[in-house]
Amino acid sequence: MAVNNCKDFLKQLETWTGGEHPADAQPHLRSCANCRSLVQDIDAIRAEARSWGALETEPHERVWTSLRAQLEQEGLIRPTETKLVPTTAPSQDSWLSGFFGRIPRPALAGAYLSVLVALGFALSGPVTKQTNEARWLEGTQVATSPLSARLNSVEQTAIPASRDLNPAVTASLHQNLAIVDNYILLCEKSVQEEPQNEVARDYLYEAYQQKAYLLAQIGERGENVQ
Amino acid sequence: MPEAEAIRLAQQGSAPAFERLYRLHNRRVYSLCLRMVSNTAEAEDLTQEAFLQLFRKIATFRGESAFSTWLHRLAVNVVLMRLRKKSGTEASLDEMTEPDEESGGPRRDFGGPDLRLSGSIDRVNLQRAVDQLPPGYKSVFVLHDVQGYEHNEIAKIMECSIGNSKSQLHKARMRLRELLHEALRSKAREDRKAASEGGED
Repeated sequence: MAVNNCKDFLKQLETWTGGEHPADAQPHLRSCANCRSLVQDIDAIRAEARSWGALETEPHERVWTSLRAQLEQEGLIRPTETKLVPTTAPSQDSWLSGFFGRIPRPALAGAYLSVLVALGFALSGPVTKQTNEARWLEGTQVATSPLSARLNSVEQTAIPASRDLNPAVTASLHQNLAIVDNYILLCEKSVQEEPQNEVARDYLYEAYQQKAYLLAQIGERGENVQ
Repeated sequence: MPEAEAIRLAQQGSAPAFERLYRLHNRRVYSLCLRMVSNTAEAEDLTQEAFLQLFRKIATFRGESAFSTWLHRLAVNVVLMRLRKKSGTEASLDEMTEPDEESGGPRRDFGGPDLRLSGSIDRVNLQRAVDQLPPGYKSVFVLHDVQGYEHNEIAKIMECSIGNSKSQLHKARMRLRELLHEALRSKAREDRKAASEGGED
């Protein structure tokens, strides 16, 4: 197609910027400063867009955590806790009875209660302290340190008691606790990186809550067996 | 775990397979969302929504199209739905362009040779200009010029013709050029004003 004016050239712009340079368009381009400027501008936009595209960012880990929780809630994937604490399968009550029968239940119940009290204190923090960010940030650190220590203490009570159990049960217990612990580590890292991010703090408390819930299930089962 | 195996296992509800698929594609989907909305929290939300829709429908995936194309189609739709909600319209993709460019011939505003974009575009002002594009233009520009998709792939992702994709891209680039020129002119005016104020002191 002969290119006699700017309108004709514009029709071939996509071809031109795509790398093909039709011979019949070249005379117009040589003689028209506006079209030359157009081609240079489009090339500059494309070059910047390409370099922009080379930078791909990974979304924050909370996206997967939240997505996974949603998938579990909708029953699309199996929740991690069900491997350890089945609530309906009677055939597995026997190993649970054996497991909880060996844990020192009074100590476990007391420790779990203290975890819940601490968790309640920590969770109530944001509401009252949001007005003073500095106090809230300080409060987060103050509230989470003993909470983390108490959870570890409860875990240390439970783990030794599980050593004599069925190896499959023990492995399952360790696997589930490892998943929750990894989640807690990720959340703690996020809070350290972005201490003012309320979403990150919420995820951290949620992670502690999950661990507390896991240990609570152990405690409840233990008391039921007793 | 190869993608095909992950898809097969995810269709059976395997958690590691879901995670594998997420890890394989999350960067690309998140980057697409981030460039479309320019807001990390919203981009995270849209990424989650796109994967959620994908995993809800994964049992129906039969492999007629590439998995990544299918996922990107879902992601683009999720983003466009959000943009439509924001603008309060139920417009189709074709309607999300500018009427004057749809109906008329090529715009006369070629820009003068005195203002050159080469050497003066950076990521910040490009993103700012992209933010001002109508959603239809923006999608095709981000998919083609930023993420490197070909027109035939974009046509599948956006469920439009190849010609439509080319046309939208052309209009997107022309509009971006105008926006970037406007930004350059505005900056030049501010510089002149600052210089004259400095001279008065």
